[in-house]
Amino acid sequence: MLRILLIDDTRNKLGRLKAALREAGFEVIEAPDLTIDLPACVETVRPDVVLIDTDSPDRDVMEQVVLVSRDQPRPIVLFTDEHDPSVMRQAIQAGVSAYIVEGIHAARLQPILDVAMARFESDQALKAQLLARDQQLAERKRIEQAKGLLMKMKDCNEEQAYTLMRRQAMSRQQKLIQVAEQIIAMHEMLG
Amino acid sequence: MNTAPLAWVNGSDAPEKPSLNIGYMALTDCASVVVAATQGFAQQHGLTLNLKRQGSWAGLRDKLASGELDAAHCLYGLVYAVHLGIGGVPASDMAVLMGLNQNAQAINLSPALQHKGVTSPEALAQLVHQPGARLTFAQTFPTGTHAMWLYFWLASQGIHPLHDVNSVVVPPAQMAAHLQAGRIDGFCVGEPWAAAAVSQGLGFTLATSQSIWPDHPEKVLASARAFVEHYPNSARALVKAVLAASRFIEQSPENLRSTAQLLSGSAYLDTPLENIEPRLLGDYQDGLGNAWHDRHALRLFDQGRANLPYLSDGMWFMTQFRRWGLLRDDPDYLGVARQVQQLRLYREAAASLGVPCPDSAMRSSLLIDGSRWDGSDPYAYARSFRLHALGDTPDARIGL
Repeated sequence: MLRILLIDDTRNKLGRLKAALREAGFEVIEAPDLTIDLPACVETVRPDVVLIDTDSPDRDVMEQVVLVSRDQPRPIVLFTDEHDPSVMRQAIQAGVSAYIVEGIHAARLQPILDVAMARFESDQALKAQLLARDQQLAERKRIEQAKGLLMKMKDCNEEQAYTLMRRQAMSRQQKLIQVAEQIIAMHEMLG
Repeated sequence: MNTAPLAWVNGSDAPEKPSLNIGYMALTDCASVVVAATQGFAQQHGLTLNLKRQGSWAGLRDKLASGELDAAHCLYGLVYAVHLGIGGVPASDMAVLMGLNQNAQAINLSPALQHKGVTSPEALAQLVHQPGARLTFAQTFPTGTHAMWLYFWLASQGIHPLHDVNSVVVPPAQMAAHLQAGRIDGFCVGEPWAAAAVSQGLGFTLATSQSIWPDHPEKVLASARAFVEHYPNSARALVKAVLAASRFIEQSPENLRSTAQLLSGSAYLDTPLENIEPRLLGDYQDGLGNAWHDRHALRLFDQGRANLPYLSDGMWFMTQFRRWGLLRDDPDYLGVARQVQQLRLYREAAASLGVPCPDSAMRSSLLIDGSRWDGSDPYAYARSFRLHALGDTPDARIGL
C-alpha cells in the first residue's frame, strides 16, 4: 500500500484530500501545515509520495519543496487552486513532480500518483547520469593535468606519461585518478 | 536536464548512459574490465564503470538478465544458456559484445588421488572404470565453459562425464576449500584458483584448458540485448574502453606484472600476488614437479585475435549443449550466433582504435580429441562424438 505524507496547507483545513485518499485505499499520514521541518518529517515518516494541498503555493511552500528535493528526494504532488502558469512553472522548477489544479476525485488519484512517481524516477535517473558525467569530466581534467606535469618532469611523450602513471597506480592497487591527484599535490608542494 | 537523449537524437556518438554497472567474478581473466574501469580507459570514452564483484555465476546471470548489471565479465556458455532458456531462468535475449580472453583455465585433482598415484589421464580413466569408484568433479556453472572443458576433456580420455562420474557446481574461489574438505576429487576452474590450490599443496594440475583447445574462447563481455538496443553508443564506448585496456595490458611484461599487482588487491581477487602472476605470465608449475612456459597461456588481446566475437566460437558451445543433452533439439546454430555475437559493434570499436580485425567470422581449430571445428557443419559436429548424451533428458543429468 502506498504511504502518503499529506500536508494540509489550506486556510480552512477542510481535509478535502484525506477522505478521497483513504477511500482510494492509501495509507495517509497527516502533517498540520508547512511550519514543520519538511525534510526531517520526510526522513521520519519515509513516505512513498509527499502530497501538499495548498490554496496557493507561496514562497514558503516552494522553499520546503526545494529542501526535500535536495535532502530527501521523493515524488511531490501539489494540489492547489492556483491557475497562474508562472506559479506552476516555479513549482515544477522547485522539484514538484505533478501540479494538479482543483478537481479531486478518488478515482483520479491513483493515475495522478502513478504519473508523479514515474516522472520522479526518470528525473532521478537523469540527475544521477548528469552527476556521473560531471564527475567524469572533472577526473579527466585532473588526469590530463597530471599527465602534462609528468611529461615536463620526465621529459617524455604523452603515451609514456600515461603508461608511467598507470603502472604506478596498478602496482599500488589504486585508481589512475588517485595517482594523478598525488602528482598534482606533489607538484604544488614543490612548486 | 534533457541533454543526454537529445544528443543521441542529434546523432552524437556520446554514450546515452555515461555510468554503467559492470559485474565480474574474481578471476585473472577479468583483468581487462578492471583495468578499463580503474585506469582511465573508460573516462577517455565518456564512461564511468562501476565494478560490481559477484559471488557466483548464477547471481551474476540473474543481475544481468534483470538489468541490475548493464554488462558483465561472463562465461561464454552462460550467455548462450540464458539466450536459449536452458537452466533456471526463462529465455531472454542476450548479447556478446566482445571476447575478453582465451585460455588459462585448468583441471586439478585432489592430493588424495595424487597419493594414490592417479597423476595421469590414463590412471584416472583406469580408476574411474573400476567398480565402486565414483569420483566427484566440480565446475562453476552447469552450462559454463568449465563444465564444457571438463566434459570434453573427460570424454577425450574415454570417461563419460555424465555416467561415469558425479558433477557439482562450486563458485570458483571456493574450489580449494571443497577439495580440502574432501567433498570433491577434482575440479575445473579459472585462474588464479587452480594455481592457488597447487601453491597450497592441495593437489595438482592434470590438464590446462589450452591443452584441450589451444586459444579456446573463454570469457566474454556480455549484456542483455536490450542494453545494446537502448544504448548503442554506451555499448560501443564500453567495447572501446575494454579493448584499449586489453591492448595496454599486453603491451609489455611490466604492464602484465602491474596488472597482476592490481588484481591481487582486496577489492578485486583478494589473493596473494604469487597465485596470480606466474600463470598470467605463462609460467606454469603443475604441483607434480613439472614446470614449463606455456605458449598458449592467458590471452587478453593478442592483436585483437582474442577479442573478435567469432560466430564459430558461439556456435561451438551450442554444439556441446546438444551433445550433452542440455538441448533436446538442434537450435538454428548460425542464426542464433548471428543474433548474439555483436560483430558489427565490435568491428566499429576495433576499427576506431586501429585494432586489426580478421575478415572471417569463423575460425578453424584442432581439439584434443582430434576433432576439427570450423563452424561449417554444427549439426554433424554435435553428432560426431563417441561419448555423448544426445538422447538424454537434460533435467536429470546435472542438477538443473
